[in-house]
Amino acid sequence: MAGDALWYEAAQVVGITNALNVVADGLGGVMAPVKVTGASPEVAAVFDEIRSFYGGTPDIPGPFALAAHDPAYLADLWAAARHAYDDNCLARRLKAALAFAVSLTTRSAFGTGFHLAEMRRLGVGERGVTEIVGVTQMFSSYTKIADTLQLEPDMGDIAPVDPTPAPGAGAG
Amino acid sequence: MPTVRLRDAEEYPEPARRAFELSKRWFNHEFPVPPAMSRVMAWDPGFGTPHGRAMKRAMGPGEFTRGEKEMVAAAVSGANACSY
Repeated sequence: MAGDALWYEAAQVVGITNALNVVADGLGGVMAPVKVTGASPEVAAVFDEIRSFYGGTPDIPGPFALAAHDPAYLADLWAAARHAYDDNCLARRLKAALAFAVSLTTRSAFGTGFHLAEMRRLGVGERGVTEIVGVTQMFSSYTKIADTLQLEPDMGDIAPVDPTPAPGAGAG
Repeated sequence: MPTVRLRDAEEYPEPARRAFELSKRWFNHEFPVPPAMSRVMAWDPGFGTPHGRAMKRAMGPGEFTRGEKEMVAAAVSGANACSY
């Protein structure tokens, strides 16, 4: 897992997963989502993309259905989410696992269920799910032990430094 | 600053010092001193030994590679806002 591009992608997944979970868990029960039937053409087009991305599911994931009250916001939120979750340097399968682990860690009921279903849809078996649960559990323990004892980071130099410039640099 | 005094490797019994050597292999890195977390977990073998075994089992290759799992671990640490 060398090279900064992988870690930028992982950070994007962590960030957007948290953003979606916050809205889904916080507002899902108190704010009505925009339904597929009756959605404006602009929103319907984004909904079609979302359904396609998630394997043709008939339901729009809650955070996007809630964001659809502002079509322009939905379009940008979806564009960012799609970019973060799509195959790139990291495969969608691993990104779903990252999103599941983050959701489990932050006790997001929406995210845990949603990304667990995504992992399975993308081919992760029960063994793989158990592996991700184990890693999540063990590092939820390690992090709390380290924080309780206020340990200072001392393993940062394990990873090699990536000397490459930011994407696009020097292209113009 | 840590809330406990982290002991030097020489202050641990022999089995713990062997475990510190093994952790170099696990991380494939020549630590000048054992990482703080390794020394913390070696303090009480009744806890640290099975906890360490569970961690190694969880992190070993399976459906996901060790590298992929390290990335998941980093994401979990980030979500827990842990800088260690």
